[in-house]
Amino acid sequence: MKNVLQWNPPEGLTGVEVIYTVQYFIYGEKKWLGKPECKNISRTYCDLSPETSDYEHQYYAKVMAIWKTNCSKWAETGRFYPYLETQIGPPAVALTIDETSMSIVLTAPEKWKRNPEERSISMQQIYPTLKYNVSVYNTKTNRTWLQCVTNHSLVLPWLEPDTLYCIRVQALIPGPPRLSPPSEKQCVTTLKDQTSAMK
Amino acid sequence: LADGVAVLPAPQNLSVHSANMKHLLTWSPVVVPGEIIYYSVEYQGEYEILYLSHLWIPSHWCSSTKGPQCDITDDITATVQYNLRVRATLGSQTSAWSTLEHPFNRNSTILTPPKIKVTKDGFHLVIELEDLGPQFEFYVVYWRNEPGAKEHVQVVKSGGIPVHLETMEPGARYCMKAQTFVKAIERHSAFSQAECIEVQGDAL
Amino acid sequence: RCSPSMDTNPVKESFQGIKGAIQTKDTLKNVTILSNLHSIKPLDMCCVTRELLEFYVERVFKYREKLSLQISRAVSSISNSFLALQRTVQPCKEHNLCPCSEEATDATRNINNNYEELEVQSAVIKSLGELDVFIAWIDKNYHQETSTA
Repeated sequence: MKNVLQWNPPEGLTGVEVIYTVQYFIYGEKKWLGKPECKNISRTYCDLSPETSDYEHQYYAKVMAIWKTNCSKWAETGRFYPYLETQIGPPAVALTIDETSMSIVLTAPEKWKRNPEERSISMQQIYPTLKYNVSVYNTKTNRTWLQCVTNHSLVLPWLEPDTLYCIRVQALIPGPPRLSPPSEKQCVTTLKDQTSAMK
Repeated sequence: LADGVAVLPAPQNLSVHSANMKHLLTWSPVVVPGEIIYYSVEYQGEYEILYLSHLWIPSHWCSSTKGPQCDITDDITATVQYNLRVRATLGSQTSAWSTLEHPFNRNSTILTPPKIKVTKDGFHLVIELEDLGPQFEFYVVYWRNEPGAKEHVQVVKSGGIPVHLETMEPGARYCMKAQTFVKAIERHSAFSQAECIEVQGDAL
Repeated sequence: RCSPSMDTNPVKESFQGIKGAIQTKDTLKNVTILSNLHSIKPLDMCCVTRELLEFYVERVFKYREKLSLQISRAVSSISNSFLALQRTVQPCKEHNLCPCSEEATDATRNINNNYEELEVQSAVIKSLGELDVFIAWIDKNYHQETSTA
């Protein structure tokens, strides 16, 4: 739910100092609203997360380019519906390992918030059907398999000792599926088989 | 002939063959020696039949096609009745429309048991199911191959990917079978043949 | 309560293909048709769902003259999916499991009033453009029903 408006500079104005002004509109309300932090700016993006934090509404945004004494027409977005269009992030993944099993704990990404003190809202609360695709890669057998998880933890028992396993996890909102990018690949080696180690 | 003008005959013997939610409309070709005949296909769903009966919609892929068949899968997108019609065209000549005798509903599609591939990674039982498209889920039933063994069921949401089924016990033999389920038509296929796999190691 | 299995995926896929084109045609940004759906109580879900399915079937999907072939095809797909959804909800009504409270009746009357305040073609375009709101509302509510049931 971090919603950033981005645009490309007007063509044919390279080397000319161009500034921009952004406005946004809440669908069903009365008028366009400005954002002071995005008035007469030279960067080509504007973070509208605070203005669009109510994800059940829909929004429009528009940008005007100004150079010297000229201004462009407004360039306008389509109707943006955060609830359906936000990109879901990957979960946080914590692995613990012992001789022959691995425990995986998943934490759903959090909704964007204005400041660290604000109460955290998990994306799981917003999308109760959110689930995870856990991909397990056994580097010794060169085999990969998937496990679909609906809660937050998974234990993989009976792994092969002294073997490097790599894990990646994607968050998934069903129908039609919205998939997060995969989490960072994390690899861990199971402990050596203690019985053979004592021989 | 009509008023001395050659009239192109309308296509005949329209029928729909549907399997695993792929729907193919076929008809008998119109033959004019030495000429290439083109066909146009149109459809109307039950909504159009009920509320807009004059409205026919050109098929996605067959508004002008040579073959005496048309993949209408992308036209049949709801589980309701559909009327279908075809006509032939040769140059400026166009035949009358020929309409499918009985409306088609995709809930009549033939659902075949899915192909399954069973593998293991150490003690982990892994299954890969045939990729039949996004409308297909799979019910996988698996059990330990021993008297009185309990059957377990797992829903697999998509095919084409190896999915973990169970962690097996050493020395045990596991069997499994699968059927497809299509939520859009609330129907499932027959089960596939059972396949079994054994795990090395001493039984516990 | 009645919580039929609502397969909305075909509608979402068809709508996704025409969302930009339809919503661009809707130039009345300061007006909405499906207002306050998120204030509907769980008890009223079935009634409002049934009423809105009928609203779209009877007052929106019939008007296709000025639509392009691509949009008309998508609207055909959506309208036929709505017929199927209506049949899914129908048993609830037949078993008197689809009561309409006063609030629910007011909400759907309000939606019809919003529609009637606009010229027909504008009202049709705006209603089509707000299909994503209706479908998201169905998903949220019928998922929470089935997941907690």
